[in-house]
Amino acid sequence: MGRLLRNSIVFPLVIVGFVLLLLLPKNVDVQQEGALSFSADYPFTFDLYKRNIEQFIGHLWTEKGFGETRSGVPLTEHGERYLKRSMKVIVAAFGLSMVLGSLLGVWFFFLRDKWLGKLFSSLGWALASIPDFFLFIICQYGLILLMQKGFPEFNLFSSDDWYSFIIPSLALTIYPLFHMIKMTLVTMDHESSQEYVRTVLSKGMTRSRTTVHIFWNALSTILNQSHMVLLYILSSLPIIEKLSNYNGAGYQLLESILDDEVIWAFMFFLPFLAMMFIVMVLVELARIWLLPRDVSHV
Amino acid sequence: MRQYVITIKRHALLLCGLLMLTFIIGMAIFGPSLSFIDENLEEVTHTLTDGQLEVAPFPPSREHVMGTDRDGRDILSLIVMGASQTLLIVCLVTVIRYLVAIPLAYMAHKRVFGIDTLVKSLNHFLSYVPTIIIVVILAMLPPIIVSDARPFALVIIIALVEAGRAAHTMKLDFNAVAEKEFMLSGAAVGASSLRMLKAYYLPFLYQKLIIYVVSDLGKVMFLLGQLGFIGVFVSQELVQVEIGMFELRNESITWPMLLMDTFMDLRGPVWIIFWPACVMTVTIFTFNMIAQGLQQLPKKRDSFM
Repeated sequence: MGRLLRNSIVFPLVIVGFVLLLLLPKNVDVQQEGALSFSADYPFTFDLYKRNIEQFIGHLWTEKGFGETRSGVPLTEHGERYLKRSMKVIVAAFGLSMVLGSLLGVWFFFLRDKWLGKLFSSLGWALASIPDFFLFIICQYGLILLMQKGFPEFNLFSSDDWYSFIIPSLALTIYPLFHMIKMTLVTMDHESSQEYVRTVLSKGMTRSRTTVHIFWNALSTILNQSHMVLLYILSSLPIIEKLSNYNGAGYQLLESILDDEVIWAFMFFLPFLAMMFIVMVLVELARIWLLPRDVSHV
Repeated sequence: MRQYVITIKRHALLLCGLLMLTFIIGMAIFGPSLSFIDENLEEVTHTLTDGQLEVAPFPPSREHVMGTDRDGRDILSLIVMGASQTLLIVCLVTVIRYLVAIPLAYMAHKRVFGIDTLVKSLNHFLSYVPTIIIVVILAMLPPIIVSDARPFALVIIIALVEAGRAAHTMKLDFNAVAEKEFMLSGAAVGASSLRMLKAYYLPFLYQKLIIYVVSDLGKVMFLLGQLGFIGVFVSQELVQVEIGMFELRNESITWPMLLMDTFMDLRGPVWIIFWPACVMTVTIFTFNMIAQGLQQLPKKRDSFM
């Protein structure tokens, strides 16, 4: 409960902090000195900063929201379109790494004394150290080569085909997936040294049923990783979207920051922040109502 | 003899990682003087063979093992020539980060000047806002873009953005060490804070600290790669290109810089980005391997002698 409360206070502060960072003055002052000679001056004063902040608040206030584009379309309409595309990638990558990651973790825990489990624990870190961008480049290159060899052709660089989100999500999944497997393995290993495990085994419960028990008890700790997994996916999303020409909210966020479009950048980033907050709240609620409490400190 | 074999087998991962690191550093230092490395990075924009005009980028061939870029420069030579700068930047970022993070962590642990709150809030902020977004926003600020010391400013920005996270992790380690019994003896003899840090805290954290630093080297390399795709590099200068128009130009060679046109290169001359990305992957892999090897050390050495 304490964590829920603390994060509810932190979350608005993070939004304010992000906006303040975004509003740092970036004005350019180009002055003509001679016929073909110009000098650029970048005034960077507190007054400008204050004016930026006032302008930003004023804009949100008068428009009662993010406002409209020049042609009269609400900004949120644009935002929604891009966000919908990105959501496909995010949900697929997040779901896959959380569910598959913990399930594979359980499986490897079950096999940890067999060669497969040992192989994984010695190679898991290696696979997790491949940067997602390299993985993506290999995927694309491989597919292009395959298509040249007669593999059925499909559109590799678009955002509107139903399958467009698959390769970006896969590239984003690899690191969080291995992270989840590792964390599940470590947490369950830790949990398996509890006394109750010895008790149920001695009473004749099967190994697989015991594993389910251990997993259920470790789940609270395993779910803690969800925030980190989502943060990783959201950090890499803009880059992967840029590489794959997948025109989603991540790419738009990056472009609007580079073009100094503060309102746009704020609009594109807000859903990402909200997503992280919602996941945190859901995990906390699950922990309060659903999952077994940690009784070791009682 | 058997002893050696056992030692090597035990620390195979660490040794292998160190071997790879030696190779990478060797490439950075001695590579430029190798015969097949074109030190001047000559630009061959087109060639005429048997009356056929060919235009750069040239695909990998016997002459250019990894192909050439759009200016006709040999990719292998670019990678070798850029190695020292790239490694230097990565090391500089990590070292500065920890030089800031260690005192911060200690002060946060001792709860002086509200540093504790600062570290906590920085850590909270970073757990919501991705590092790369913060770095891009700060790198685009005018005082930094026009500064003569832009490369150095960017190194410091990248270092400091995550210093809060590093300090937070280390603060937890400081807290854990503070629980140990021998700490009381330090307090009893009246050791000063600085002496406590040097003689009572750090000796028990050195190993962890090295693991943190080495794994951060990999993370920094990853971040620099990501920044490369966006077009933000450490060594850039503002140049006037047209009347009243300014553009960031690349003044020296680093690996991330070769990734700049990925979006175009991915559809055609893929070798231009494939090899730099591959070298970066190998380097990240090497750092992670060493970190992993170091992590296995303490378990093997449970001795009171």
